[in-house]
Amino acid sequence: MYSELIMDYSKLKKYKGKLKDADVVEEGKNLSCGDEITLYLKFENGKIVDGKFEGIGCAISQASANIMLESVIGKDKDEALDILKNVYAMVKGEDFEKEKLGIVKELEDIRNYPMRIKCFLLSWKTLELALKKQV
Amino acid sequence: MLSRSIRDDFPALDRKINGNKLIYFDSAASTLKPKLVIERLSNFYLNNYANVHRAVHTLASESTQMLEYTREKLAKFLNAREEEIIFTSGTTMSINLVVESFVRSGMLSSSDSVLVTLVEHHANFVPWIRLSKLHNFHVDVVAPTGRFGELKIEDFNVKKEPKIIAVTFQSNVTGQVIDIEKIREKFPNAILLVDGAQYIPHKKIDVKKLGIDFLAFSAHKMLGPSGVGVLWGKKGFLEKMEPFLYGGEMIDKVGLDNVTFNVLPYKFEAGTPNIGGIAGLLFALEYLEGVGFENLEEHIKKLTQYAIEKLSKIKDVELYGPLNENQLGIVSFNINGVHPHDVAHLLDEKFGIAVRSGHHCAQPLMKILKTQSCLDVFPNSTCRASFYAYNTLEEIDILAMAINKIKEWFDVF
Repeated sequence: MYSELIMDYSKLKKYKGKLKDADVVEEGKNLSCGDEITLYLKFENGKIVDGKFEGIGCAISQASANIMLESVIGKDKDEALDILKNVYAMVKGEDFEKEKLGIVKELEDIRNYPMRIKCFLLSWKTLELALKKQV
Repeated sequence: MLSRSIRDDFPALDRKINGNKLIYFDSAASTLKPKLVIERLSNFYLNNYANVHRAVHTLASESTQMLEYTREKLAKFLNAREEEIIFTSGTTMSINLVVESFVRSGMLSSSDSVLVTLVEHHANFVPWIRLSKLHNFHVDVVAPTGRFGELKIEDFNVKKEPKIIAVTFQSNVTGQVIDIEKIREKFPNAILLVDGAQYIPHKKIDVKKLGIDFLAFSAHKMLGPSGVGVLWGKKGFLEKMEPFLYGGEMIDKVGLDNVTFNVLPYKFEAGTPNIGGIAGLLFALEYLEGVGFENLEEHIKKLTQYAIEKLSKIKDVELYGPLNENQLGIVSFNINGVHPHDVAHLLDEKFGIAVRSGHHCAQPLMKILKTQSCLDVFPNSTCRASFYAYNTLEEIDILAMAINKIKEWFDVF
């Protein structure tokens, strides 16, 4: 699971921090370890134009949050929801549209680690809540 | 050290986990089960099992005898009376039973105060806090002032003696054994409830000598099955307490206006109990007596002190708890810059070592650890290696080597 890609993305600083002019701020929690994430998203004309996150977590959750933001910035809400739908299918081991997930599909192996799926999904579940807030 | 042949009783120890021989350091969560206990349990289910107490046929009689013999055995084990031994589903249920029963009986009202500590497992913290909100009694909280969550007797500093003190015998995070005798001396008149989940598996205790009033523990942390636990309480209190659950064997007479209850201990044993689990607890206890509690304690002490010594030498590893002879069976730690979930995952994947990572259902204690932590970022959780009869010093050497490797992979120098 601890591939170079995950290790590199876990240390990425680009999306770490607070987004002062965020339109949506959403908090997520992983109850099993006490990890928390605050997700900031900025929208323009229905498109996610910027995003950042704060919080501490394991390498899997941090890499996943970075990859998540990289994947959804530049997408509109429906496209982001479509990615989300495919991410959920991927972790469940169901068929999913690989071409829609880009780099996220490199983390497909997470389906073989049921105890780590919560870490991986923390940022994605927070994204889902944030998108629900965005009308 | 205990004989290596003990390890032969635990077939899981021969398992290969990702190509490595299993090293099981998660006994504080739940112990492995000896083959003998499983075989005896299997034999009981195959030949003797039926529901208990009500029927007159042979199997019902054998099962009832087994259950009552377990009760008798536990009474002797704790130096208590048989009618004071109540079978529950585990420590959590035992503690919730006491809190709820006290409130229902009017034995805990708005003028009363309860003393709990910040090192408690949620099961001995949340019921008190939550029910104090619903029933207006007062809760005083003792904060540990020693090294990383170490609780000292001076920390129990309250103006008024509480009606109830609810305290753990041993922290499930730091492994510290709490001096219950000193707490009793300091508060001679309080009702003393002890969460024995972590400690009872290590040492045979005498509830009368300790002067405690209630004791809760679980079978699954002492080689027995999960889903069965014990609440021991002093008869005088149990007689006054309103039952927590109604139905089954706990009933005496049922009318439209009034209901009366069975005698102790049945008054608190509603519904069909975990009959197999209770038999399993007996088999586990007999197995442990065969090993000898003194030998077991000595063995675990050696492992713990060795682990403290080994791990404290590793740079960038922070160890929690008192790090002295009062720390038993548990070593909780973090590697600077590496999240405990990553440590635990890699210990399993690369070395076959099973440890627990997370907040260990002790979130208030995690906040205390954070205040003293020298880590760049404290992850609100720890990695916990916990030891039992089947562990060896060599396994701790492998853990230390593995931690060094993980540090390398995460560039922690």
